[in-house]
Amino acid sequence: MRGSERVFTAPSESSRSPAGTRSPALAIEGVSKRFGSGDDTVLAVDDVSLTIERGSIVGLLGPNGAGKTTLIKCALGIVLPDDGSVRVFGTDVSGRGRRAAYADVDAMLEGARNDYWRLTVRENLRYFSTISGVDPDSVADRHDRLLARLDLTDKANTAVRDLSRGMKGKVSLASVLAGGAELVFLDEPTLGLDVEGSRTLRRELRRLAVEEGLTVVVSSHDMTTIEAVCDRVVMMAGGKIVADDTVATLLSAADRDAVRVTSADINERLLSTLDQRFDLRAVETNGPRTTVEVGVVGDRLYELMDTLREAAVTVEDVRTVKPNLEDVFMSVTGVETDVIGGPDGTTSGNDSILTPVGDSGGRPS
Amino acid sequence: MSRELDGSGSIASESGSVTGDSAGATDSPSGDDADNPRPATYYHLARAVLYREFLIFVRYPANAVGGIVVALFFFGVLFYGGQLLAGQALADSLEGIITGYFLWTLSVGAYSSVSNDIGSEVQWGTLERHITTPFGFAPVALLKGVAKVVRTFLTSAIVLVFMLLLTGTRLSLDPITVVSIAGLAIVSVLGLGFAAGGITVLYKRIGNWLNLLQFGFIVLISAPVFELPWTRVLPLAHGSALLQRAMVDGVRLWEFGLAELALLVGVAVGYLFGGYLVFHYATRRARRLGVLGDY
Repeated sequence: MRGSERVFTAPSESSRSPAGTRSPALAIEGVSKRFGSGDDTVLAVDDVSLTIERGSIVGLLGPNGAGKTTLIKCALGIVLPDDGSVRVFGTDVSGRGRRAAYADVDAMLEGARNDYWRLTVRENLRYFSTISGVDPDSVADRHDRLLARLDLTDKANTAVRDLSRGMKGKVSLASVLAGGAELVFLDEPTLGLDVEGSRTLRRELRRLAVEEGLTVVVSSHDMTTIEAVCDRVVMMAGGKIVADDTVATLLSAADRDAVRVTSADINERLLSTLDQRFDLRAVETNGPRTTVEVGVVGDRLYELMDTLREAAVTVEDVRTVKPNLEDVFMSVTGVETDVIGGPDGTTSGNDSILTPVGDSGGRPS
Repeated sequence: MSRELDGSGSIASESGSVTGDSAGATDSPSGDDADNPRPATYYHLARAVLYREFLIFVRYPANAVGGIVVALFFFGVLFYGGQLLAGQALADSLEGIITGYFLWTLSVGAYSSVSNDIGSEVQWGTLERHITTPFGFAPVALLKGVAKVVRTFLTSAIVLVFMLLLTGTRLSLDPITVVSIAGLAIVSVLGLGFAAGGITVLYKRIGNWLNLLQFGFIVLISAPVFELPWTRVLPLAHGSALLQRAMVDGVRLWEFGLAELALLVGVAVGYLFGGYLVFHYATRRARRLGVLGDY
């Protein structure tokens, strides 16, 4: 029986369209999903269309209830959409061909252990590569390298239950990658990890994805993860996609450039002037010194400097403040970042510790 | 995989186990077949599922040992209590009681392990990975069920040996006959286990209540198939009657009538298929409701 019964077509066959052209890794067309009925109906995903090309690393960002996890589950066929279609490498996951599509897809879902804690790390990799349709003996070397890359070699023969939380997270990632899936969904991959664990996972995830040419969809509250790992960001709010672009483009369009000026000569009168003429975002007084953060772009910077000179301000420190995804997300959705703060209470963002002024778009202090 | 391990570098480049530069997407690693992941076959799937079950069994024997101890305890209560209350009447029917108890432990083991296993997979987040497998969930679930049955046969055999030693009873234990008939008898229970597992996927908290069904197996095992022939189509009933004849009267497998064996197979396949259908539609409804894997 061995070797005589292939249970699925080779992914390289299944992932091509009949015309021989390479289909995108993921094509979501007009997907909607409602939960509940009557007055309790919740529209979790609202007419979402999204195409993800092969080899891209896409972040799915949004607050709780934005529809991220539901969209991922629709993509996996774990949740059946009410409307629309999902095609993975050209195969409709709700149709008869979904088994072929599954050969190329794996996922690490939010809050799930995702593997067997009573088996060792290596046993998990072997088991799940088999379940993913790959003979584990043929990828034994790959497993070794995966373990080495994730610093798990020494723990290869340790039961997962005996590992730290951070290591369990890495084992979960390794088991998802063990079968060589081409499209990988990671829903909150840093959930519950400490700072160091999150940092390691982000670094290795990015490296593995790029080197292996994976298509990765990362859903996360944690904007640091998205910004560090992804090339492209899809922002969701209220079940809809509200922004979809490269990280660089989103950041450049954020219109959140600002300068932070520190001086001992900034007084109430000047603050009033700055508030009237400019986008004064935050003020912090530290002893004799006051630091202001003013949103300025282009020539407005010169106007700001002229204003400071006219007020006889001796500038002690000037720093530019670049926008981050947190700012972009706020400007696009109007959702405060503390709403989408990660489970551990962390948010990304610049190092501003200034007190926001009024409602002028200041970020949380 | 269309994205094969290409030596490209990738994770191999730093470990030094692969030659070739990082840009060479088609470079091959030297000395291994890491660049050629082979598709897994049903053989590999069966091996993986059975091996996992074996590992859990030998590595964490407490569950199995606990089950054996509990089964023997209840049998001890039944045996000694029955001796006090019924005396000779119990002794006259002891062979039948042991056979029935053996089948009951098998049934309970198969049913609860399958239904509980599905519930556990839901909690662990591993159920989705078994559903999104290129093999399809049916073969995986069936193989997992087979693995549970094999494990249950081992533990129930130990219980049987202890029961025989405890009571000094002799039974006919032709392995082929006993394994075939008892195996087919509990396949129908396996079907019930799948149905219960499916319902557990839909309604998470109902799992413990469904475990109460295992006490209903006592009724099925002792069903009056001679007085009420229609009860033969119920799970376990016909298999129990045949097992009694095999173990108590010494009838061998090939000495049973073809119709009797056909009915045994038919009931087994019917309930297994029915149970799988319930599981299939329950998981499909769970996918529709968005509750598959939620816990």
